[in-house]
Amino acid sequence: MSHYSGNIDDFGMDTISLAGPLEAKLQAVRDAGFTQIMLAAKDLVGHPDGLDAAVAAVRASGLRVTGFQVLRDFEGLSGHLHDYKVDIAKSMLEMCHLLGCRLLLICSSTSVHATGETQALVRDLRKLAMLAIPMNIRIAYEALSWGRTVNEFPQAWDIISQADMPNLGLGFDSFHMFATNTPLDEVELLDPAKIFLVQLADFMWTEIKSVEERIATARHFRVFPGEGVHSEALAALVARLHSLGYRGDYSFEVFNDDYQQLPLPTVAQRAWRSALWLGEDVLRRSVPLPNQIRLKRRIGR
Amino acid sequence: MNTLSPSQLADRESIAEAANPLGLDGIEFIEYSTTRPQALGQVLEMMGFRPIARHRSREVLLYRQGAINVIVNAHLPAAPDAGAAAPEGKPVLAAVALRVRDAAAAYRRALDRGAWAVPSRVEVMELNIPAIHGVGTSRIYFVDRHDKFSIYDVDFVPIPGVDPQPPAIAGLHFFGVVQYIGNDRTEDWTEFYRELFGFSELPAEQRFGILPKGRILQSPCPPASRFYIQLIEPEAGVLDVEDDEALQRIGLGTADVLATVAELGKRGVEFVESRGVHTEDRGALTKTWLGGVSFELVHDERR
Repeated sequence: MSHYSGNIDDFGMDTISLAGPLEAKLQAVRDAGFTQIMLAAKDLVGHPDGLDAAVAAVRASGLRVTGFQVLRDFEGLSGHLHDYKVDIAKSMLEMCHLLGCRLLLICSSTSVHATGETQALVRDLRKLAMLAIPMNIRIAYEALSWGRTVNEFPQAWDIISQADMPNLGLGFDSFHMFATNTPLDEVELLDPAKIFLVQLADFMWTEIKSVEERIATARHFRVFPGEGVHSEALAALVARLHSLGYRGDYSFEVFNDDYQQLPLPTVAQRAWRSALWLGEDVLRRSVPLPNQIRLKRRIGR
Repeated sequence: MNTLSPSQLADRESIAEAANPLGLDGIEFIEYSTTRPQALGQVLEMMGFRPIARHRSREVLLYRQGAINVIVNAHLPAAPDAGAAAPEGKPVLAAVALRVRDAAAAYRRALDRGAWAVPSRVEVMELNIPAIHGVGTSRIYFVDRHDKFSIYDVDFVPIPGVDPQPPAIAGLHFFGVVQYIGNDRTEDWTEFYRELFGFSELPAEQRFGILPKGRILQSPCPPASRFYIQLIEPEAGVLDVEDDEALQRIGLGTADVLATVAELGKRGVEFVESRGVHTEDRGALTKTWLGGVSFELVHDERR
């Protein structure tokens, strides 16, 4: 690697920040110095040579797959809608398994057809986690800030705790926490072993006034940590998660229309700077941490 | 004492669920898949099993001793994902069939809770035995067996001149199944068997036989048909076998391990004698045949 390599192997990029074909994204992320990447289902199914070719490209890249996204509007449905979503979930799990990926991300439901009744949400998430057990996949449940019933991470945490499945945990997205102004102290509620993924993003506005603006910002105007106006809050969040005991992955969940029309290495270098800032300046790491060897999944599983 | 609301009191213990929700009543059969059925048959016969019936349409044989049924499946499946047999011909423990009160109800209940259905591929006039996916490529069948009707009567033809009920050597009976699992997977698989079948975890100090590693789950069956699943993670530090999960061996119970070892020894069965594992009153382990088939004997007074 030609780069100065910081001790930041637990930070990764997400394909949603990059334009172009899958192979180019993998190459750019790898060349920037990252060892892992978050993939979306459309990265695989949209590959011109099909799913198997996409999986082969990911495996050949040597990058570890942080997680696979995203299952939407799953919980709280009944009857044929529930059965339909279970089928979708099974297909997502099968793709995740093909990749040798250990984590599937699910966002809290926005569906007006879904009940908000806690027992139903708990039951459905238990079922999803059970589906994932034979494949050795963990389920990270994330509170989307425009979720209909669950829209802040403490609510997601409550459902996860009640579901009480060993492979069901929290997907924590800083954007949604900032968008809903959820107090940082709420992080203290969490069991760090049950935080399965932390996604980080900054954005340019100091305040988001409406749900519509929240959705638009989330999908088009996020930037890498340190590039927006919430750098201090992000630094405080990462430091708090670290002191809580979180040692899992940080993935940059940066949807940005401008980055979609920049050369991939340019975007990947911005992400790398962000990772260095968090690893070196915020978490003040200097030497590799003990017991942080991250083995890549074997090829040909 | 009276500060708790009724709802809080109700939450304190989870006793809503019946202890044996499926009416689980032991193992009906276990199934090996192999491309070398004759070689495996020889091993089974050495262990005291007798071939008693052939499948009507497939290359499948039923072996039995006492109440233990073993199916040897050499039928090559059409679908690529169904091939449980390893390429080098090593036999694989491909399925466990559980006796339940109502197979259809048990199957539906499992699917409702997140089990994966195995699509059935029955031929005409064959039984459609519902199955879900278990560990690795293995399956779990649900069988409701009635006294006057057995599943084998439909799909199998008896081998002429063979005793259909060969006695068990030294009272051998099913004791359990050993399952190898990945790193940090004990809780996942414990939850799998608890949620879908009602298994419960035994305390760490309660162990059987001579190989006490891992976690033992107890089936909710009545005492006479009770069996166990032993979950074993890789040795600490062995990271490269993380993905290898499979049913590893079956355990057979006997009231007198040493007498059984002597009896099987006369038939040519050899047992592991090493510093870590050797035959004693509590149990014994056969050597491994065909690259992957072994049997564990466990002291168990039940029969």
